Amino acid sequence: MSIVFACAASHAPGMTAWPEAAPKEQADRFLANYRKLGAMLAATKPDALVAITVEHWANFFLNQMPTFCIGRADHYIGPVEEWLRIPKTRVPGDSQLGADLLDACLDGGFDPTFSDELLFDHATMLPLHFLNPNMAVAVVPVIINTLTNPMPSARRCLAFGELLGKTLEQTEKRVAVIATGGLSHWPGEAKHGKINIPFDNKFLDTLIAGDRRVLAEYSHEKINAEAGSGGHEIRTWITLAGALPNWKAELLGYEPVAPWATGCGLVTFRR
Amino acid sequence: MSLYQLQKLIFDVNRNAERREEYRKDAAAFAARYDLTQEEKEAVSRLDIRALYQRGVHSLLLRPFTLLHGVSNEDYAKALAGLE
Repeated sequence: MSIVFACAASHAPGMTAWPEAAPKEQADRFLANYRKLGAMLAATKPDALVAITVEHWANFFLNQMPTFCIGRADHYIGPVEEWLRIPKTRVPGDSQLGADLLDACLDGGFDPTFSDELLFDHATMLPLHFLNPNMAVAVVPVIINTLTNPMPSARRCLAFGELLGKTLEQTEKRVAVIATGGLSHWPGEAKHGKINIPFDNKFLDTLIAGDRRVLAEYSHEKINAEAGSGGHEIRTWITLAGALPNWKAELLGYEPVAPWATGCGLVTFRR
Repeated sequence: MSLYQLQKLIFDVNRNAERREEYRKDAAAFAARYDLTQEEKEAVSRLDIRALYQRGVHSLLLRPFTLLHGVSNEDYAKALAGLE
């Protein structure tokens, strides 16, 4: 059929591992909106869920680090983190859609890595926990390297997203697409805890305005300096923007949650 | 300096339960399996968080590694104080 649902959401581990550390009202508001997104997703009755995501040394190391990787497995296991307070689960995978996406990429000017066995860390498990709580919808992970240099440019992510979007709009399935990561954060660094609210607001404004020209110009250096090592994950949001030309983005929530050390955003998209 | 080997050791301990057990039994002997300088071996064996960070160990390898050792957020931040 086509893409029936799309959203972008942050995945700070504190959302499930230490929600009580955050101011109650702020945490409740953010997590209620996250669950609301899950209800919106379920209402569109998707056959498959494409997760434009990242990972944190769960599968790949510096001996082989794919820039883009598409999962083609019939199931995935996660989370790898025992402390995440999300039970270890077998997540169903849509291997056919993964294979179809891969073929479309190779035909369309991209050559991603593929994998028939991936573990999910909090980057993928946390959004799935809220958006696909019963793990009823089969998942296709599309992993972007936002962990270690060199990373794909914003421009390249937009183009990759365009190709993914075009392909998903032509599939016979009803597909939900989610992007996950960001916004500004410096995990495990000396600056851990810093949140750049002006950066986050500007990025959200740009995304909502649908200004691809400006999104394409988010350079590695700018993101690194202003949004931190964790901020590189906004490449997943930029990829999603590429997949959804002419869709309208809407801000569902933004909370700079200090104990989660992350600018946390939720954005929905509609045609 | 062999940052790759240093990070590989930490990745192996973080991600592989068997390696973790071997590391816990004898950190120095475990570190000897990797191609590390004397300083790097000592930084790992003594869990010198600041030295590992300054040598360029990725923060998302280092923080989980220190979590395995029960290092609190406060102690981790203290180890990196002044490096912002």
